[in-house]
Amino acid sequence: MGDKANDKKDVWQGTLALMVLKTLQAMGPLHGYGIARRIEQTSGDLLAVNYGTLYPALLKLEQEGYIRSEWGFSDNNRKAKYYKLTRAGRKQLNKEEREWEETTAILARFLAPGEGRS
Amino acid sequence: MRRLRALFVRLGGFFYKDSGENEFADEMESHLQLHIEDNLRAGMSPAQARREAIMKLGGVEQTKENYRERRGLPILETTFEDCRYAFRLLSRNPGFTLVAVVTLALGIGGNTAVFTVMNSVLLQNLPLPHPEQLMFLRLPNDQPLGASNTGDGDTSFSYPVFEELRKERAAFSDLMAYVPLAIGKVPVRIGELPEEAAADMVSGNFFSGLGAAFARGRGFTLEDETAHAALAVLSYSYWTGRFARDPSILGQTIYVKGLPFTIIGVTARGFYGIEPGVSTDFWIPLQNRPELNAWGNSASNSTLYGTPTWWCLRLIGRLAPGVSDPQALRTVEPAFQQAALIGLGALDNKSQKPVLALASAKGIQGVRDQYDQPIRILMAMVGLVLVIACANVAMLIVARNSARQREFSMRVALGAGPGRLFRQLLAESLLLVTTGAALGWMFAIFASSALAAWSSLDVPFSLDSNVLLFTLLISLACAVVFGIVPLRSAATVSAGSALKTSNAAAQPNKTTSWAGKLVVAVQMALCLILLVGAGLLVRSLRNYENLPLGLRTDGLLVFGASPLTTHSDDEKAKFYRILLDRLRVVPGVESATLMDNRLGSGWSSNGIFAIDGIEPTGSFSEIGMRANDVGPDYLHTLGIHILQGRDLLDSDSRTAPKVVIVNETFAKRFFPRGDALGHTAGGVKPEQRFTIVGVAADSKYTGVDEKPRPMLYFSFWQRSSVSDMQVELHTAGNPEALLPNVRAALHEIDPNLPMQKPMTQRAQFDESFSQPRLFARLAMFFGLLAALLVATGLYGTLAYRVSRRTSEIGLRMALGAQRSEVLCMVLRESLLISVAGIVVGVPLAIAGAQLVRSMLFGVTPGDPISYLGALLGVTLVALVASAIPARRAASVDPIVALRYE
Repeated sequence: MGDKANDKKDVWQGTLALMVLKTLQAMGPLHGYGIARRIEQTSGDLLAVNYGTLYPALLKLEQEGYIRSEWGFSDNNRKAKYYKLTRAGRKQLNKEEREWEETTAILARFLAPGEGRS
Repeated sequence: MRRLRALFVRLGGFFYKDSGENEFADEMESHLQLHIEDNLRAGMSPAQARREAIMKLGGVEQTKENYRERRGLPILETTFEDCRYAFRLLSRNPGFTLVAVVTLALGIGGNTAVFTVMNSVLLQNLPLPHPEQLMFLRLPNDQPLGASNTGDGDTSFSYPVFEELRKERAAFSDLMAYVPLAIGKVPVRIGELPEEAAADMVSGNFFSGLGAAFARGRGFTLEDETAHAALAVLSYSYWTGRFARDPSILGQTIYVKGLPFTIIGVTARGFYGIEPGVSTDFWIPLQNRPELNAWGNSASNSTLYGTPTWWCLRLIGRLAPGVSDPQALRTVEPAFQQAALIGLGALDNKSQKPVLALASAKGIQGVRDQYDQPIRILMAMVGLVLVIACANVAMLIVARNSARQREFSMRVALGAGPGRLFRQLLAESLLLVTTGAALGWMFAIFASSALAAWSSLDVPFSLDSNVLLFTLLISLACAVVFGIVPLRSAATVSAGSALKTSNAAAQPNKTTSWAGKLVVAVQMALCLILLVGAGLLVRSLRNYENLPLGLRTDGLLVFGASPLTTHSDDEKAKFYRILLDRLRVVPGVESATLMDNRLGSGWSSNGIFAIDGIEPTGSFSEIGMRANDVGPDYLHTLGIHILQGRDLLDSDSRTAPKVVIVNETFAKRFFPRGDALGHTAGGVKPEQRFTIVGVAADSKYTGVDEKPRPMLYFSFWQRSSVSDMQVELHTAGNPEALLPNVRAALHEIDPNLPMQKPMTQRAQFDESFSQPRLFARLAMFFGLLAALLVATGLYGTLAYRVSRRTSEIGLRMALGAQRSEVLCMVLRESLLISVAGIVVGVPLAIAGAQLVRSMLFGVTPGDPISYLGALLGVTLVALVASAIPARRAASVDPIVALRYE
């Protein structure tokens, strides 16, 4: 039972991880709440990030060495844990971006109207 | 890679749980605060802002749980929990745990110990690089006729064969020769006192060809071989045992038969040489001096280094890379056939053509053939013991689990899934098996060294990775068996049964008790097989022990004595004359004599001797004769009856007319009319004939189990060459009490003279059946162990059934059943199980007994006494095991029992 739930989450986490990495690349060091808000904003509020699932994803990325965390202070002087990309994270982001582009390109060709008949 | 890194971090998280927990709580708190602030800025009321933030986060505790799962390794955590809980449960029930663990330890340990022996003797490779390339050269068809042999015809080759074959580099990248300096040990001196050591003469490429490593110094070179250099290499164990790992060992001198040898090397630890079943103390290059002849043989024209017909060298080859053994054989065959004939001329008979063969150097060669079958049989026996032990523990677990049904259903009711319950039970089984295996491993270390001591194999049995793998495998098998057992308990639990409080309602179904009885019946059958096997082997041992030897066995002391400085036959004869005269006057010695081959040691001289100048015709098995060169008073000292004529006397000296004594079998076969006296036996030429002056009763020569064969006793002074002799002393008292006086007497003759392997003649004969003794003892041990295990198993089953049926028995008694009837009811059940076991076991035992046929002596596989004994044993087990439960059943108080409901 638990295994199945994990599988689904992994698929979701796969894209979530890419979004987190991209956010950190674009914004620089950011805390968890900020990352979540940024993703929501970027998606034009189409994606509702469940903030609860964000933290295990962040932890996983940190365990894999793609991001690093340290405690710092927010603009209004509140203590928060800041995440930032590591060099390995940057490389991973490039790789995943490329892969994602390839995948979407292939899918786009499949879905392009009239492509197969001409 | 990244996954591995994450795994390690998570492992770390498992241990630093608390600090991570606090930190995440802080992070959550800061997240909420940031969110709330945002919400406030967006114009919400404080309460609303907080509520919205918490809802968006999706529940703090849920998030924390998700985070926790990612942080550590949940499987590890629950497994850890299971183990801790299992440990608590098992330690709360020490009786059950102790019985289960000890049973498993005996089963696993016994198997490990026997496998250790099997591994060393049959499977282990020599501790050398690429051991699979090493091949012993063999002569399955024996040496060609006319060769001077050393008695082991299928392993020894001539110098020309060695020289020719070592040139065949296409087949063997290296061919090494080796031969012991003595039968047993050779006299050496390191400090002041004489002692003995096991030594081999070897070719120059011996160490380099084998690829042996050195702890100190170096090995020999080909130049050392051709120069017959006076150099020696010590084995690591000899260096340790005799020299206490003296760091300045190199350059020291060891005197071998009085000749100085310089120590130039020490082999690496773990190399015991390649002699079968014994460890070699040191090696010297092949020597050409007569006093350092192969096997300590007296050197004559036909038996000395370089004599082409002296087939004394043992050979081991390293196959050239990529060459298989049949290819190697084909390559060397022409050279071998040619070299084999050097010095012998053409063979008159095609059937005598020598055949070359290769034997893998796995295990302990020589010993391997002898032990192969017995060890496999022992392995099977001890395997059966393990099966019985496992069945016992499995039954214990089942009984315990069914008594825990209520606990299980309580846990199911509280929300444990069947998977979780199964994991919990599996953890308990695994804990039992792990503890049992660990204890068994310790037991095996002790038991295998005891086995090594008993088996009189001078090679340490090492518990290597093979053995470890084996132990892990059988433990795993046990764990799987015990894993399946709880599966049933876990699968059939329902939450509802927790609510039923009645004992009877929770009673296990019929199939469970049937299965229990079936298992015990099978155990009974296996136990019967083991007891029959043990009985047959013990009866064989009795036969060995009680066999008439044809000579006295008490009051005899035997030891070897070899002159160190005298080498000609005349000098040797004089030495033994002085020795004998001196020993005869040692206080306590009643008579003294000499012999070439020590009785009961397995050694003998064999040949075909001419009678009245004519060689008898026939195959060797029909007319082959045995001989021994012996001293005066031989028959008298050994207590062998003289049937006709006289004993050998002091007057049968070198210059006197040549005489011989024959045994009864000889006289009957060749002189059926009883007129042997006065005829001659010996060589064909008149000067080689010995006059028969006496006929002695048959007596044992090589060991207790030999069949009578025609035998000649020559006066050793009158033989063409005088061998190194064994001394036999007869005393009225304890033979070992003679030792100090005899040592003093030897010291008077030559301070360098050691007593070689002194022991009583009785002990020497006992050694000749040490292997059957070892196997009989082990089989008996396994049989008793099996009986004990089956008894506890049966007891457990019956006691459990009686306790489950307490109320039923009470009811029966309340309705008028007599105590004796209740007693009979339990006994009947036990006997029924035993009878079922016997019915299955007897045919199996009959089949199994056929397998041990070759190990039996004077007993047939169908020996009725062994079977009766085994049946009696099984019945006894059944009675003893049922006595206590039956009494408990009979003493049930009906009132108490009925109040139970």
